[in-house]
Amino acid sequence: MGETLTAMIELIDVHKSFGQLEVLKGVDLTVTKKEVVVVIGVSGSGKSTMLRCINGLEPIQKGKVLIEGEDLHGPHTDPNKIRQRIGMVFQSFNLFPHKNALQNVMMAPLKVQKKPKKEVEQIAHDLLIKVGLAEKADAYPDELSGGQQQRVAIARALAMQPDMMLFDEVTSALDPELVAEVLTVMQLLAEAGMTMVVVTHEMGFAREVGSRLIFMDGGVIVEEGDPREMIVNPKEPRTQKFLGMVL
Amino acid sequence: MGNLIEYYFNPEIFRESLWLLIKTLPIVFEVLVMGLVLSYAWGLLLALMRLSRVGVVNKVAGAYIDFFRGLPLLLLFIFIYYGLAIAGIKLSAIASGVLGLTLCYGAYSAEIFRAGIQAIPKGQMEAARSLGMTGSQAMLNVILPQAIKLVIPPLTNEFIAMIKDTSLMSVIAVPELLFTAKEKMGVTANPTPLTVAAIIYVVFTIPLIRVAARLETRRRKPRPPDRPATAGDISPEAEAQLHSADIAGQMPKGGYG
Repeated sequence: MGETLTAMIELIDVHKSFGQLEVLKGVDLTVTKKEVVVVIGVSGSGKSTMLRCINGLEPIQKGKVLIEGEDLHGPHTDPNKIRQRIGMVFQSFNLFPHKNALQNVMMAPLKVQKKPKKEVEQIAHDLLIKVGLAEKADAYPDELSGGQQQRVAIARALAMQPDMMLFDEVTSALDPELVAEVLTVMQLLAEAGMTMVVVTHEMGFAREVGSRLIFMDGGVIVEEGDPREMIVNPKEPRTQKFLGMVL
Repeated sequence: MGNLIEYYFNPEIFRESLWLLIKTLPIVFEVLVMGLVLSYAWGLLLALMRLSRVGVVNKVAGAYIDFFRGLPLLLLFIFIYYGLAIAGIKLSAIASGVLGLTLCYGAYSAEIFRAGIQAIPKGQMEAARSLGMTGSQAMLNVILPQAIKLVIPPLTNEFIAMIKDTSLMSVIAVPELLFTAKEKMGVTANPTPLTVAAIIYVVFTIPLIRVAARLETRRRKPRPPDRPATAGDISPEAEAQLHSADIAGQMPKGGYG
């Protein structure tokens, strides 16, 4: 089948500006199936923006974004359809506060995919079990800890049965003792073969789970490679400097 | 003292007017219910238009809102009932009243809805869109349910103002409270009917004022100290926006009942 060679995500010379400020200055990236690409870099390096460009939350000024071969900005593409295949988890969780955990997970399959309620409820329950929160199904977001909220957010994204997942600094807003529970869920997901792009500062996660490490600076990808190798032996001076600061 | 009672609380006239005025309440309710439903629906539509990214739609809604916020409601009533009649558009007094309320209060509530929608953190829309929802699905399922909860207190204040403004319809001969009281005052040459009308107004408005205040304090229930601030929290700027949108009512700034 040549399955492993399928490009899930392909960014070709992507440029993105906010007004005068150019945040992405020509990014090329190919993510293949089951890869876990970990993106690191200082804040302002463009890593979160790159992630948001992958599912079209941010319009781009130049270049191409291909999702499983489909041009996200193509004239006949419905970006809403493509986003259904891309799960995203945010730094600030963004759970829907007027819905409980189960309803948060159920909403998109119900409203977007129009699946029958019984089926969706089953899916949602299974996902909450998967993220270890079966007993919190009825809890509202403000009754959950940050780590629990983030795990519900992961379950919510998974409910659409996406082909790939984007994680945008998902542990940065968490108290240190809550980080592990979220990373564990992400690790399980990676082991189950999910294609993932993970923007993070967690170098441990990058080393243990990442299949590729990308270092961004100044709106471009400066260096990429095998995480275990690159962390110990970065080639580019900018990467060396950054890793020297965070390790 | 005896005169005072004779003028303003004349027992016999009081009794007569009370019955007479209570009989006008169905009409007042009719106008209010229609005015409430139509003006809130119109206001929500205007707010969505105001937030539209289509320049023309947005500008038209903005101009409408500014215009009707700036217009005295009394003038509007007179224009619709007497002014339009000259051009051959003859509306009943009640229809004119409902139309006037809808046009004017639609503009007021549009500002409230807009502030409510804008108070919902941006991340909510992004999360909804990232799940594949269209803009309108996200608005309907995620943004509006939260925004509406937020605007219930200011909309209640709006409604109190609307109750009071039904009295302006007396100039277009809607047989509501003030109109009927004034007529009775003319007949009896005694202002007691006005006293009765005043009492009836406050019997309805004061409980609502209390309700609005309670809703307001409940909404602003402070976040428990053990829960960290999340992106779902309403920002102080958004709070201020909501307050400044509350034009017709007087939202209690501090705690009330």
